[in-house]
Parts: sequence; structure tokens; C-alpha cells
Amino acid sequence: MAMAQNKTKKHVTNSLFYVLYVAVAILFLAPLLFLFISSLKEETQLISDMTTLRAFVPYGKMSLDNYAQVFEKMDFLHYFRNSALNAILQVAVGLLLNGMMGYALGLLEFRGRKFLISLMISLTIIPTEAVVINRFLVAVNLGVVNTIWALALPNLAIPMYIYLFYQHFRGMPKDLVEAAIIDGESYPGIFFKIMTPLSKPIYATVAIMSFIRAWGDLLWPTLVVRDNTWMTLPQKLRSLNDNVYVYWGQIFAFSAMVTLPILIVFLAFQKQFVQSVAMTGIKG
Amino acid sequence: MSEATLRKTANRRSKLTRSQERAAWAMSAPAMILLFVFMILPFFMSVFFSFTSRQLVVNPKRPTAFVGLTNYQKVFTDKVNRQAFLNTLEYTLILVPSVMVLSTLLALLVNRQAKGVTVFRLIYFSPQVVTMTVVTVIWSAFFSGMEDGLFNMILRTFGIPAQKWLQDPKLAMPCIAVMSIWQCLGMQMIIVLGGLQFIPEEIYEAGTIDGCTSWQELIYITIPQLKNTLVYVFISNTIYSLKMFTQVFMLTQGGPSNSTTTLVYQMYVEGFTNKRVGRTSALAVVFFLIVLVISQVQNRITEDK
Repeated sequence: MAMAQNKTKKHVTNSLFYVLYVAVAILFLAPLLFLFISSLKEETQLISDMTTLRAFVPYGKMSLDNYAQVFEKMDFLHYFRNSALNAILQVAVGLLLNGMMGYALGLLEFRGRKFLISLMISLTIIPTEAVVINRFLVAVNLGVVNTIWALALPNLAIPMYIYLFYQHFRGMPKDLVEAAIIDGESYPGIFFKIMTPLSKPIYATVAIMSFIRAWGDLLWPTLVVRDNTWMTLPQKLRSLNDNVYVYWGQIFAFSAMVTLPILIVFLAFQKQFVQSVAMTGIKG
Repeated sequence: MSEATLRKTANRRSKLTRSQERAAWAMSAPAMILLFVFMILPFFMSVFFSFTSRQLVVNPKRPTAFVGLTNYQKVFTDKVNRQAFLNTLEYTLILVPSVMVLSTLLALLVNRQAKGVTVFRLIYFSPQVVTMTVVTVIWSAFFSGMEDGLFNMILRTFGIPAQKWLQDPKLAMPCIAVMSIWQCLGMQMIIVLGGLQFIPEEIYEAGTIDGCTSWQELIYITIPQLKNTLVYVFISNTIYSLKMFTQVFMLTQGGPSNSTTTLVYQMYVEGFTNKRVGRTSALAVVFFLIVLVISQVQNRITEDK
């Protein structure tokens, strides 16, 4: 009797928890649903729906028209190419440079190593925002403004990533290096042939971090890219959002397509994704 | 061992050390050069220019001159600058405590062995996937100041009059804070969850033997055990709040009547629109010092463990 009562009590608390779970989930998902559903609606219906809870319901005439318009009228692919190229450069070259330095600091013995490590730790404290205006002056003096180099170059070497690589490689067995040296391998060779294949998780983590960072950045691109040639997706979205003559449906379709690449990475690598974002507290 | 072999080994050693040294520097050089050009150099430029009248484009008729502490004086006396400090503080004071309380509650909520709970964790985390520019586009639709905006319609069902939201100087910053909390909460939940799962089970068992209620469990076991995690959440969110820019740049451009001008937004306006590099640099140095002090606080608090 008492056991049965206990069981029902447990059952009730369990159901209560699920009610809470779902209620909170609605709060987090509703804005996203709103975005994707609205991007499929026709403009007049969208405008009238936006003032009620119907904004969250997929119904009426739904089509991909807004998306077609974004491709045709707004040259989405051009901005997508810019953002993608920038992100790929930052991720690929960044992994190489930061990884190499992390390996040197973590596994090799050399004069100045201690100094470089403490320099790296001090640099992690400096927020990019605090140097951004003079970094812009540097970019102007280098003559790279309005090029892809202005977007990517300053964001390749990141002290935080170097530090993460350093911590990772420091934990690797030094015997591995010594054994490879006896086998006639060079120090860079050890990095590329032995250490990198053994370090896939940390590479995935840093890759995701730097992709999110590159994809969402607005301040730096706004400073160094002033014309259409290398304008990135967030920049274009900002100018669309400021333009009262642009249809909501098209802005939402544009926004949805900005979101999709990260969403795909997220769904494909959930575990690494959550871990990497939680590791540094970097936010879009 | 003969002397000859000894010398040979020593030779080989130093050769190895030298090749190791060369490799290490060669592999650090690319990152170091970039960091020097785009981080260390701009940092010292900021410090240097903060004492000068440097403009973005130097006017040959009015060359850059040393102005002593004038720029720093301006940082604290200029009306908009002061407003920027206060606004950033307001945003931080709304965001940080809310995130700490809500993320802890959420983490406690999902810290159970229940079917499908990992799916819910992912759902709560998902706003993090959305780029901030897109987040502001979505929420700007909700925050419509029109009578029939979505939030106003919801207010009306409760009999509350329509609000101007982002166009109301009193409400604009809290609105931006709520939106930002929505985006970052899931990630903070994951961090607290990590802390929760580190608490050894035995402490709770001991608590049960001593007859702890769940409330006492929370106050006397969970929260003290979470100390380092919560300090981390506190510090990282404070620094994150101090850097707030994109939301304001997208939604309000500092308005209405400077009620949402933040420190970083003010740096953008002073440096880029008004082209005053000297003043912006002073602002940047002060901003850096604030961040420095806050990150030192974290080291102090968590060190004594």
C-alpha cells in the first residue's frame, strides 16, 4: 500500500518535471521557430501574424519565395562566399599557427619558453575590444583595408587558443618525442605526423570556437570592410535590418540562412560543440 | 666510458638542443609575429596615443601633440562617456545576477537521470547557436513599439498598457539584457551542470543520514560546493557584459537619448565616427584596466582552494 503510494508520488513528480522541461523548452525554442516559420510566409500574412501567437504557427500559404528573393535580389551567395572564405581561413590557418605554437610551448625545451608562456597568459586577458581602434590603424598602415586579409589576418593567432593547445600538448608524453627523435624524425615532423593525429578532440574544439567567432563577428568587419566587395553576412544583415523598405520575410529568410551553417555544425558535433563553447565562455 | 665517447654524446646533446631550439622558435614565429602586429603593437599604441591628441586621419596643420591626462579627464567628465559607463553598469547589474540564478536553477532542473533529459539540455543550449546579429533581428520583431507588437499584445491580455520597449529610454537597456540572457543562459547552464556533476555523491549521502531537507541540501551542500563554478560564471559574464556591442549596434545605435550607449559602442563612435583616436585610446585603456581588475579578482577568490 505504502509502496504503491510512493510509486504514484514518484510518478507525479516525474510528470511535473516533464511539464517544466517542456515549458522551458518552449521559451528557448519559440524565437527560433518564429524565425524559420516566418521566413516561409507570404509578406501580408506575415505582417498580420506577427502581432499574435499565430506568428509561431506554420499555416497558410507557405513557400520558399522569400529565399528565392534573397538569392536573386540580395546577392546572398556573394556575402556567403565572403563569410565562408573568412571563416575557413581563420579556422584552418588559425589551427595550424596556434597548434604549432602550443606544441612548441608544451613539448619542446628552449630558451625563452617560460617568458613566452607568461606572455601568452597575459595576452589572454586583453580583450580585442580594447585594442580595436589602433588595430584598425595598423590595418590601414598595412594597406589591407577592404580586403580579405584585413578580415582574417588579425584573427589567426589567438592567445586563448594557443594557451589551450599548450595545455593539451603539455599533457602529452615527452617520451614520444624522444623516441621519434631517435628514429630520426624532426621536431616539426613529430608535430605533423605524430602529435596532430593524436590530438583530434582539441583541434575540433578550437575549430568550432573559431568558426563561431569568425561567423558572428560584426565590430571588426564593420571597421575594415567599407564596401560591398568583402562585406560579410552579419554586415549585410545589419544594413538590411536598417532599411525600412526591405520585406520582413526576406530579412527572416536571410537570417535563417545565416543561422543554418552553424546549426548544421551544431547538430553534427553536438558534444564537441557544447564542450568547446563552454570551455572558454566565448559568445557570439 | 672513454673521454671521446663522452664528448661525442655531449656534442650530440647540444646539437639536439640546438635543433630543438630552432624548431621551437620557427614554429612559434608565425603566431608571434601576428600577435605582435595585431595585439601587442596596438595595445602599446593605445597606451601611447591616450596621452596625445591623435586623430584617425592626421591633419598636417594640426599635428598630434601630447596633451597629458586631458583624455583621461574627458573619459570621466564627458557626459556621453559617463553615460556609457552607467549604461554598461546597468546592463551588467541586470545580466550577471539573473544569469547566475537562472543558470543554477536550470542546471538543477536538468541534473536528473530522466529519459530524454539530454535532448532538453540541447534545446536549452540551442540559442547559443544563433549568431547575435540574427538574435537581434528576431527580437526586434517582438519588441515592436507599435500598439500591436507581439509583446504589447501579450501585455494587453493582462490589461497592461502598451510599451515603447526599445524606444523607451528606461526600458531599452533592460530589453537588450533580457534578449542577451535568453541567448547565453543555456551555455551557462552547461557550465554549472559541469560543476554539479563534480560534487561527490558521498556528501549528499552524509547529508541524508543527518536528515537534511532538500532546501538545506541546496544551501549547505550544493551552493558551497559550486563556489568555484559560480565565481567563474560571475567573472566571465561580467567581462562579457562589459564588452557588449553588437546588440546596441544592431538595435538602438546607443539611443534613445544615449540610454543604451555602452563602453565599446562609445569607443566605436569616438574612434570611428568622431575620429578621435586619442580619446578612444584613453577609453580603451580604462576599459582594459577594469577587465584586468575583474580577472584578478577571480584568481584571488579561487586561489585559496
